[in-house]
Amino acid sequence: MVLKLNLRFIFAMGLYYGLYTITRGFSYVIASMSLPLTMLFLIGIISRGYLLKYAVIGGFISLISTNALSSAGDASFLRLELKFQDLMVTTRITRIDYMLGLMLSYLFFSLPGIIIYAIIGVVLNLFTAFRALALFLVMLSLLFSETSLAFMIAGMMKHIRNVWGIVSILSIILSVIPPIFYPYTYLPRYVLYVLSISPATPGSVIAQGVFGMQPLNYTMLIVLIAETVIYFVLGMNFIKWRED
Amino acid sequence: MIEIFGLNKIYENRVEALKKITARISKKRTAIIGRNGAGKTTLIRILSTQLMPTSGYALINGLNILKDEDEIRKKVSCIPQEARPVGLLTPYEHILIYLTARGYSFKNASEEARKALKQVNLWENRNTPADELSGGMKRKLFVAMALASNAELVFLDEPTTGLDPLSRLEVWTAIKGLSSELVLTTHYMEEAQSLAEELIFMESGTIIKQGTAEEVLSEFGGKVRIESRKPEEGWKRVGGLYINYVDADSAQEYIKLGYDVKQITLEDLFFKYGVEIES
Repeated sequence: MVLKLNLRFIFAMGLYYGLYTITRGFSYVIASMSLPLTMLFLIGIISRGYLLKYAVIGGFISLISTNALSSAGDASFLRLELKFQDLMVTTRITRIDYMLGLMLSYLFFSLPGIIIYAIIGVVLNLFTAFRALALFLVMLSLLFSETSLAFMIAGMMKHIRNVWGIVSILSIILSVIPPIFYPYTYLPRYVLYVLSISPATPGSVIAQGVFGMQPLNYTMLIVLIAETVIYFVLGMNFIKWRED
Repeated sequence: MIEIFGLNKIYENRVEALKKITARISKKRTAIIGRNGAGKTTLIRILSTQLMPTSGYALINGLNILKDEDEIRKKVSCIPQEARPVGLLTPYEHILIYLTARGYSFKNASEEARKALKQVNLWENRNTPADELSGGMKRKLFVAMALASNAELVFLDEPTTGLDPLSRLEVWTAIKGLSSELVLTTHYMEEAQSLAEELIFMESGTIIKQGTAEEVLSEFGGKVRIESRKPEEGWKRVGGLYINYVDADSAQEYIKLGYDVKQITLEDLFFKYGVEIES
């Protein structure tokens, strides 16, 4: 089977629904940056700068995770309230095009935060070309896996109000408790494995290893790749397209 | 042309929304009328390949909805019931996204968007975020999307529900600009008569009547509607009114007795098939 993507639609969604809406709804962008920036401030103060690197690298991961998970609310809203998804089902795009289009829009929507963190990272002299590339790939994997998780949730929801509650709980479980803002070695090994159900955990472990903050853990690389594939396939199957 | 063969839909909650419907829709503009819950939206969603039927099938210009969904989606545009625009996107951006999803290049999509927005008088508002548009403008935006799609067949599911009379007229004008075949659902009788050549009247998941307005009302031939505000044995109750149908020749007698006498309209189909007799 040849996967034929509608790249024009994916780009149009990313551009108009992601990038252009930043200027019209900037409060959402600030809201998505508020958690990582708060953590940066708190961690910087409490650790007297010692864990500042964790807060910066964690900030990238938290930003993507928060935006990706809140896409569950967004995807549900588009489907249940605006009927936007129904409108799209009767066009020539596939469910994969639709998911990728929304994913790209969330990536674009995260850009202001990513730029702020990139500036902080440069100021703190954290980046090399390899580290930047590795972090970018980790963020891309997280975007795929966590947005897919969000689509799974959105596909199961029948009432929009339920989504907001579930997303709030999930954002804590999946993007605050995992070792995003602190060294993963602080966690007992079995807790680390339990938390690995959230892609943010292997993502953070890899990032901390690549940036030389903690030892590299290659098992987590396999976990992240496997989760990205599995969650993407699940998200694709759970998203309600042509309904039964 | 749409040919429907024994379409049946039973939802998860066991509600049978369509009861083995068989029909042929061959006119250029057809309105499906019926009360809420009659099965209109379910039928449109199945025909436009949004929803799978429980059994039965339909052919859209010879293409089977069960097997040829990709081909059907190239030819069909469907505006869902209660569709609302994305608040932060402009009308122009909505159409561009919709047309790229339909396979248009950015250049062609932009050209079609320009034409359609001008045709529905939204060009001046092309860069206004949808949240700032009036209700009528929002509905016209969806008609513009259908227009711009150049689809062979357009489904509009209750395109004017909730609009004020002026906005409805504006949307009607926009709909009349569609050159495609059109199937729309509505529960506004005047809308059906204004926009369609053929009417399909649905009730409780079945098609009760199909034909021109005159044909579907033929059973009321030579009759008028008598209305009373007092309960009458064997009459149908409609809200606070009691109604009955009598020969037009006897209308004068009822007027003398103080009853209101009304000409037959499409609403009488609702009264006859959708209202329980007061016991």
